[in-house]
Amino acid sequence: MKRLGAWAALAFALPCGAVAEPVVYRLDPEHSFVHFEVLHFGTSTLRGRFGVQEGLVELDRAAGRGYALVRIDTARVDTGLPAFDARLRQPDLLASDTHPQATFVASSFSFDGDKVRAVRGEFTLRGVSQGVELRALRFGCHPHPQLQREVCGGDFEGELRRADFGASFGMPFVANRVRLVLQAEGIRQ
Amino acid sequence: MHKLLAASALSLAAVLPAQANTYTIDPTHTFVTYEISHFGTSTNRGRFDRKEGTVQFDRAARTGKVEISFDLTAINTGVAPLDKHLQSADFFDTAKHPSARFVGDRFVFNGDKVAEVGGTLTMLGKSAPVTLKATQFNCYMNPFFKREVCGGDFETTVKRSQWGMTWGLNMGVQDEVRLLIQVEAIKQ
Repeated sequence: MKRLGAWAALAFALPCGAVAEPVVYRLDPEHSFVHFEVLHFGTSTLRGRFGVQEGLVELDRAAGRGYALVRIDTARVDTGLPAFDARLRQPDLLASDTHPQATFVASSFSFDGDKVRAVRGEFTLRGVSQGVELRALRFGCHPHPQLQREVCGGDFEGELRRADFGASFGMPFVANRVRLVLQAEGIRQ
Repeated sequence: MHKLLAASALSLAAVLPAQANTYTIDPTHTFVTYEISHFGTSTNRGRFDRKEGTVQFDRAARTGKVEISFDLTAINTGVAPLDKHLQSADFFDTAKHPSARFVGDRFVFNGDKVAEVGGTLTMLGKSAPVTLKATQFNCYMNPFFKREVCGGDFETTVKRSQWGMTWGLNMGVQDEVRLLIQVEAIKQ
């Protein structure tokens, strides 16, 4: 809540157009996950998942602007294999002890009509920041049946080279290229 | 007795391709991930974490057979209450049907690579045909096992109602479920 308060203050401080109505959404942890895919020995695709620890998105669909902040707890990587998860947390991959969080901060949104088409921002992993673009595979809004509030979200994909972040263990048996697939649903605040 | 043994061996030899090799599913590189649309907005994903199986595979004869079973009590979506709901009688009914089983014996090759595997998926006590399409397939010498490993990525889209899993259809929960399958199997 404290963060949201600071966020709202920031939103007020931003210069807004006359018709611009920024709306703040908080990512729903039950419908927001960061999945990753990486090719194993050029043969099959390894998958893993991170829950979203904190996610705030501000959308001004009329003005075609947006801002997003997503934090994930790298120690909570989940591949379905506890031994593999433990290996991923080591210093030469996620380095969870020294860098417990990975973040994505984005302020470059592009829209197709009133739908988010792409989000470009900075992804920080192991303390290294690189630009990453997430493209919407689908985007939509629907009323949340229980909360009686608007939910906006979709599926996004992007890619990165893990060596760019220093997470290079296991190359080339396990590929450098990592595909990111994000499920994101934000509940209107 | 000897004659009987010899006769069975002979009939077995007639049935099995000459170079059929047995591969054991590597559970650390074999997963099924499902995808289902959530109110047309985003895609919910879940994964089955415990499985076992074998593959008989003859690249030269272009034949094969895969048998794999999944422990449905090990469903994992990252959302504990959802895992519990999925195991209930509304969905997988794991108290009565704790596992799902796929038996595939229609191997279609493209060159020496498996392009698709047709077979039967049994869950909730019902069997229905399923064809898995390979999006990639490869065999390699694994430096840790010092053995050949074959595998790939497969996918298919099924209608869950075929197995009688109809919960939520009237509320807009989709019938179509996409299955993404990572599989690697180690030569024995």
